[in-house]
Amino acid sequence: MSKVNRLLSAALVVAAIVSACGGGGGAATQAPAATEGPAIVRLGWAGSPDTLNPGAAVLSEAYTIFALVYDSLYEFQLDGTYKLGVAESADVSDDGLTWTFKIRSGVKFHDGQPMTAKDVAFSLNLYKSHEDFPYLNTYTYSFESIEAPDDSTVVITLTGPVPNIDYLLSYLYILPEHVWRDHAEGSAAAEFENAEMIGTGPFAVKEYKQNEFVHLVANKDHFLQPPKIDEVVFQTFENQDALVQAIKTGQVDMITEMPKTAAPTLRNEPNVKLVTGAPFSPDVSDIIFNQVAPENCPKDAGGVCTGHPALRDRNVRLALAHATDKKKIIDVVLLGLGDPGLTLIPNGLGRWYNNSLADYGYDVAKAKQILDDAGYKDIDGDGVREMPDGANPLIFRMNWPSDSTNAPRMAELLSQMWLEVGVKTELQAQDPDALTAVCCPAFDFDVILWGWGSDPDPNLLLGVMTTEQIPTGSSETGYSNPAYDDLFAQQSVELDSAKRKDIVWQMQKIAHDDVVYIIPFYAQEVQAFRTDRFGGWITDAGKLALEDVSSLVVIEPVK
Amino acid sequence: MKRYQLLVSKVGWSLFTVLFVIVLNFFLFRVLPGDPSRAGVRDPRLTKEAQEAIRVRFGLDKPIINCFTTLNPLKLAPETCAVNPLDTQFFIYIGNLIRGELGISFHTNRPVAGILRERLGNTILLIGAGQILSIVLGIAIGVVAAWKSRTVVDYTALVSSLVAWSMPTFWLGIILLFWGSRDLGLPIGGQVTVGTTYATVWDRWLDIGRHMLLPTLTQTIIYVAEYVLIMRSTMLTVLSEDYILTAKAKGLSTFQILKDHALRNAALPIVTIVALNLGFTVAGAIQIESVFSWPGLGQATYEAVVRRDYPLLQGAFLLLAVSVIIANLIADLLYSYLDPRVQTS
Repeated sequence: MSKVNRLLSAALVVAAIVSACGGGGGAATQAPAATEGPAIVRLGWAGSPDTLNPGAAVLSEAYTIFALVYDSLYEFQLDGTYKLGVAESADVSDDGLTWTFKIRSGVKFHDGQPMTAKDVAFSLNLYKSHEDFPYLNTYTYSFESIEAPDDSTVVITLTGPVPNIDYLLSYLYILPEHVWRDHAEGSAAAEFENAEMIGTGPFAVKEYKQNEFVHLVANKDHFLQPPKIDEVVFQTFENQDALVQAIKTGQVDMITEMPKTAAPTLRNEPNVKLVTGAPFSPDVSDIIFNQVAPENCPKDAGGVCTGHPALRDRNVRLALAHATDKKKIIDVVLLGLGDPGLTLIPNGLGRWYNNSLADYGYDVAKAKQILDDAGYKDIDGDGVREMPDGANPLIFRMNWPSDSTNAPRMAELLSQMWLEVGVKTELQAQDPDALTAVCCPAFDFDVILWGWGSDPDPNLLLGVMTTEQIPTGSSETGYSNPAYDDLFAQQSVELDSAKRKDIVWQMQKIAHDDVVYIIPFYAQEVQAFRTDRFGGWITDAGKLALEDVSSLVVIEPVK
Repeated sequence: MKRYQLLVSKVGWSLFTVLFVIVLNFFLFRVLPGDPSRAGVRDPRLTKEAQEAIRVRFGLDKPIINCFTTLNPLKLAPETCAVNPLDTQFFIYIGNLIRGELGISFHTNRPVAGILRERLGNTILLIGAGQILSIVLGIAIGVVAAWKSRTVVDYTALVSSLVAWSMPTFWLGIILLFWGSRDLGLPIGGQVTVGTTYATVWDRWLDIGRHMLLPTLTQTIIYVAEYVLIMRSTMLTVLSEDYILTAKAKGLSTFQILKDHALRNAALPIVTIVALNLGFTVAGAIQIESVFSWPGLGQATYEAVVRRDYPLLQGAFLLLAVSVIIANLIADLLYSYLDPRVQTS
């Protein structure tokens, strides 16, 4: 046998060994759940936390993990309400400025140390004192002071009455003072890696590798909701087709996201259940009109305000709303998995969502009529209308962030729909950072297709439409209405929840009547789980989030 | 003497290239529009104060080089110059490099050196296995195809290599992913089955091996074709030389002719390709890594570009540049050993 032949046969042997491992492994992968050993739930998702440090984290995946590993004074629930967490009671003074919390006794951190009111006060003060914490710091703005007079009492003094303290406190995770004490000062806090991630929550971190997996173990001694399963693994799949394949072949038990096109095939897959519902933190898609008035142009903040003057006219925006076929957009872009949108407050926000508003119907004739009546006529007969004074045809620049998957198709559809009523668009995708630079507070655009991520409380997105936000860059439309601004101020101090809801509804009506935005859709959450592995997933509690603590503490292996 | 001089000049040029890359890396990423303190996140909660605090933490509040706070060509304008020209991002970066510090990744809050070490190991494991397999198979098949020129063996090798070489990596990866996970039950994501308790170290490696199978196979199919095509064509040229005929006439065995007379002369182009490919191994194979969610360097670099994670980008590109330069240096030196004529010219 020559050496070349020997080489070749060696290669064949390697290939044989390799395929042998493959075959043998196959059986192991398909092994049923009900074998001995710990009950491990595997979740597939496309993302990964950026860091385990709650102060520094930006990505929503990180907050999903925080909610499992940490507790707070209040816990957010899927029906949109809050319940007490590590606090057993909450009292507020008559002026609404002093909140006193009684902290449960016997709560322990994952490392065995007891958790007391001192840890609570320490954590809240940590968030308050760190301006370099991008998010959690903002939830403490209205806190004057946080004190722990004894081991079971926390007193929070506010600078003014706050209607949604439960919402604010639900994000302020309780950290162990004995761990964070050495990392509390200056830039050390935001730079702390927090790899151990000691908390009091129903799950503890066992191992974390960024962009690979988060491995959690159950805290069976949790005071409120000890999990029934033993371990949870969040596994990152960079490729969404692989994610779908992984649940089909049983390599994961649940997936939190998937390409829209995969939904129909998963619906017919045996042992897999596809569920849809309102998202946990809904993303709102918006069509932004630059309507900033010349006198409101934030020149000091870099405003150049080059928007098309027609967009400052409500008639034009109203006509475009009537010319927009939301149903078609939902069918084409989301393959039907969405609901027509009204304002920035999505239906996923439950009672805060004003469901009494009637949407502008898709009606091309009416849209044309509105434009004709307002004096926008096609004078030169090129199919594009001109301004009432005859100059300046209605040609709008339309931009969207280049990382958006939905926007390109939506832009094309809108371009066709609006051309039917004599409005032309020039389409161009832009790098998200470049888009921010032209958007706000520069107001150097006409129309942008973009979106917001929403909090459970409407305050954040209602604030986006206030005059105050024009120079800060949060207002992307430049909309300014004193009546709306007044209502915003009122709702932010209204302690009576029912009254606050009325004001919030009123604000949505104003924003809708003025056509500040066109909201094409509220996308539905689409998730899937395997029915042959674990049972008891919560799918009908208002919001859909199988990765939320509510599901993970109640599911059990299928017998 | 000559070989010594060659060595010194080659190594000198390599060092110079590394220095050039260090400087270029710094400016390259900062010319891109974008701001790491926003990290592509637009949120009304991210106040001006918070953004400023983050910029201070990342050291982005300092001028990039004296007199310039931005390198974005659209915003480039003369500015008042700082008092201390050394207190700028550029010189802080150079100073840190001299001390051997690569900094902290903006996005993940972890030391860059640690991330690179972890990812480099994963990448070398996966891409290294695929490359070695392709090189060995490619050379062997190429030699056989040339020797059996114009036979069924040759045509089969040629056609299948051309087909494999023209296949998009991403597409082949997805096809193998569907097939491997459905019919063979192979894992299709990550490096290990997280949460498994391994009885022995051997079991753990077996698990890693199963995770490596599909990505390695994808890679081998794509790369083996390149080696086959090059090896075959060089071999054909060499085999038509007179000295091969002489060797045949002397009655040497096929194996002796191939090994002692043909292979060494045909090795030069292959050495070049192998060296270049091995150098780029460090960059990882972004497509393969992303199809199979393999936590390698390519994937980390891609993420760093998207997030404008300057420290990680600089570290990754430095590593890549150094390994490509070293691989080239080795190829150059091997050349002069394999072909003595290179030294004199």
